[in-house]
Amino acid sequence: MPIGIMRRLVLAIMGLMILAPIGIMVYQSFLDAPFFDANAKFSLWAYRFVLAEPDFWKALTTTALLAVGMTAIAVPLGALLAFLITRTDMPGRSWVEPLLLVPIFLSPLVLAFGYVVSMGPVGFITVWWKSAFGSEFWNIYSFSALILIAGLTHAPHVYLYASSALRALPGDLEEAARMTGATPRRVASDVSIPMIRPALAFSGVLIFFLGFEVFGLPLILGDPQGLLVLSTYLYKLTNKLGVPSYQLMAVVVMVILLIALPLVLLQRILLRTAQRYVSVRGKAVRTNLVRLGQWRWPAFGLIAIWFIGTVLIPMMGLILRSFVSSWGLGINLFDVLTLDNYVELFDDTEVVHAIINTVLIATVGGALSVGCYVLIALAQHRWRSGWTRISDYLVMLPRAMPGVVAGLAIFWIFLFVTPLTPLRTTLFAVWIAYTLVWLAYGLRLVQSSLLQVAPELEEAARVVGAKEGRAMRDITLPLIKNGMVAAWMLIVLIFVREYSTAVYLLGPGTEVIGSLVVSRWGGGAVDLVTALSCVNVVLITVGLLVAIRSGVKLHG
Amino acid sequence: MKSGSKRHFAPVSRRAFVGALVGAAFFASAAEAQVPAGYPADYAKIIEDAKKEGSVKVYATTDAKAASPLIKDFEALYGIKVEYNDLNSTELYNRFIAESASSSGTADVTWSSAPDLQVKLVADGLAVAYASPEVDKLPKWAVFNNQAYGTTYEPMVIVYNKSQMPAGDTFTDHTSLAKLLTAKADVYKGKVTAYDPERSGVGFLMMNRDVVADPKVWDLFNAFGKAESKYYTSAGAMIEKVGSGEHLIAYNIFASYAALQTKKNPNLGVIYPSDFTLVATRVAFIPTKANHPNAGKLFLDYLLSKRGQTIVAKAELFSIRDDVEGAATAKAVNEKIGATARPIPVSNELLGTLEQSKRLEFLNKWQASQKK
Repeated sequence: MPIGIMRRLVLAIMGLMILAPIGIMVYQSFLDAPFFDANAKFSLWAYRFVLAEPDFWKALTTTALLAVGMTAIAVPLGALLAFLITRTDMPGRSWVEPLLLVPIFLSPLVLAFGYVVSMGPVGFITVWWKSAFGSEFWNIYSFSALILIAGLTHAPHVYLYASSALRALPGDLEEAARMTGATPRRVASDVSIPMIRPALAFSGVLIFFLGFEVFGLPLILGDPQGLLVLSTYLYKLTNKLGVPSYQLMAVVVMVILLIALPLVLLQRILLRTAQRYVSVRGKAVRTNLVRLGQWRWPAFGLIAIWFIGTVLIPMMGLILRSFVSSWGLGINLFDVLTLDNYVELFDDTEVVHAIINTVLIATVGGALSVGCYVLIALAQHRWRSGWTRISDYLVMLPRAMPGVVAGLAIFWIFLFVTPLTPLRTTLFAVWIAYTLVWLAYGLRLVQSSLLQVAPELEEAARVVGAKEGRAMRDITLPLIKNGMVAAWMLIVLIFVREYSTAVYLLGPGTEVIGSLVVSRWGGGAVDLVTALSCVNVVLITVGLLVAIRSGVKLHG
Repeated sequence: MKSGSKRHFAPVSRRAFVGALVGAAFFASAAEAQVPAGYPADYAKIIEDAKKEGSVKVYATTDAKAASPLIKDFEALYGIKVEYNDLNSTELYNRFIAESASSSGTADVTWSSAPDLQVKLVADGLAVAYASPEVDKLPKWAVFNNQAYGTTYEPMVIVYNKSQMPAGDTFTDHTSLAKLLTAKADVYKGKVTAYDPERSGVGFLMMNRDVVADPKVWDLFNAFGKAESKYYTSAGAMIEKVGSGEHLIAYNIFASYAALQTKKNPNLGVIYPSDFTLVATRVAFIPTKANHPNAGKLFLDYLLSKRGQTIVAKAELFSIRDDVEGAATAKAVNEKIGATARPIPVSNELLGTLEQSKRLEFLNKWQASQKK
């Protein structure tokens, strides 16, 4: 098949899959009843209702502040982590990496609960601090704490984007800077970081979007204050009316879409000069690490502080909770130590199913998803046309729907589009939902490594007679191997914790860890949830370590 | 639990296939013998048809884990596979109405802890009329038009932290709790927690029913406001934080949740308010669009039967039948609270609480009660 038709076909399929759920939402926002209700009529009532709600504006403002705040923290921090770990000789960097990724795959609900157990008003760190120094200076339920925790725990997302870009960077530029006397800090701020500006711009916009749909963190940390963000506002809305009102949810989605489109435009402007960032050129280079010298240990200290605050503190809370039957004031932890939570966990066949399904959908499903993303990225690669411009806007759209709403829209598609109906209760449907919702994330990783490939390499192939498709297969693809592996890693980690988009597609037999955590949490089985999460962390970090040690090349 | 649940995407092995054949043959021959005592003779036909249908799909809010003994026993009794879907009440509602409007059919039984939403679905014509042979064994308030049935008897209790409550402070009912919180608002500042009626459907319904039971309960809600109480959307977080001492009192908690947690944490105490105690029930019905209506009937009847309810009691979900013994039963609860039980009736009355104007009126009053 000619390459031009292939490109159009791939992009058309992608467009259809994105526009179907979005289209349902647009349509629904203009109705006065569920769209499948025979009595539904055209109406602007939903717009009038939502826009007149003070709670909506409050939630929107809070959400925007949260999104801006967490992006401002996560992007610089993630970039710094990436520089230190991939480009320098900082001690212990290869061991730190798998642990660094914990916040990506651990359910934010559980992570937030970990903070409650350790640093909440009666958390064990707080109690110890009180006995040693008097009253504590923090309040994890405050809005600033929420922004800080959201920022810290999203830094690993940026790290993944930044590190994959940095790994593709040849070392000669940094070496030149270092030789002319630049300190490691100057190398980072004047050479390495500017070279990966596209990856940072991508991840910045993505984190901002994630900010619009964070749910688990505000649910646990904001619940006591009744803090409203858009995703929790949807609950309040449902409750005001007594029954779920899809047209109101749809209007909220429309508002987020309106915010999303200018952001994508901004991103395109930032990348207009993408040519400047080409770094994989047609000559052989050797990557040398930046020697930190006297900065080695301070750098290590910095990472250690981030690590303690972001991973260790909540994890200690979770581990503690998983080995006791109760905790808090007036309870001697040694009296309540128990292994029961774990015994109970492995007696639970549903849990075992969930672990198997999760591993399956994350690794195999994740690889297939990356395959799809690579196809799409190649379809857009070096093709200036209306198709690529439009598809650039489209990929962002699925993420503009909060997870619960996206889940509903995808469920409707599988239910009402007859050819898809038989797939509805299979893991395949779950996989499609995941692939669609995380499209922007995986695709951006692949694209940012594509950006770094200089056109002359492909041109060389063309000159010696290769067709465009052949040049892609033999030149472009091998060059972005690192990007593909990084994309796969990110997707595996994200799929491990994802569930909300598939909540209406999951049934007996297709349960996953994410859905189990939330449903058991709702039922009050905190001990089981914490034990399951600890098992989850051990499984994934050991998996990552083994993968890295056995030669999955993350380091170029 | 959820036995055989992976089957529908695993390839069918030959052994499983032969097993199924043998099983089918065995159960076909045993059909007549299984009509439960006291059921009409033509019930054999329902059993037979249900077996032909082969499986029953249940949408439920009860944890799959808590329900697993029920599922296992039902499967052993009839040889009919249970496809148990554990959802929250909003998910159940969303999924159910969309499927009812589609051509692919829906669950064979819905079983939800949101009685108001269940009654609405019945009123919208989405449930079949089916007079269960067990109907005489149920209290009148738990049966709605022979369409929807209350299946449990769960008191709404107050959970508190025994070891962290200030010495000498006690309360036994809504009034004395209101007095305590008003008198010592400073001590209890931020220490009381309840479902948020603004964000949680359960929270709204229960507080609404509190007011129906006794309008004076507004004194208590005012006292909550004065003590700057914290409102949550999930019972798990509330009980956990009362257990840890971050909060001291959790108001309107399902006794079924409380029972499980108090067993693990001896610091937790449970109070059945002595002036009145709300009693909630999980409501089940058979949808008009059920794909396996006979299996649905079988499961509903089983759930209401003495055998099923005995297991309900053992799972600490609180049996609704008078003739079931044990701690988590209507019998035991009534011995404790007797005439002060205020069951939330499965009836049209609940539709009123879903009306938007009434909801907003209640919520406005609630917000006013929380102003400091």
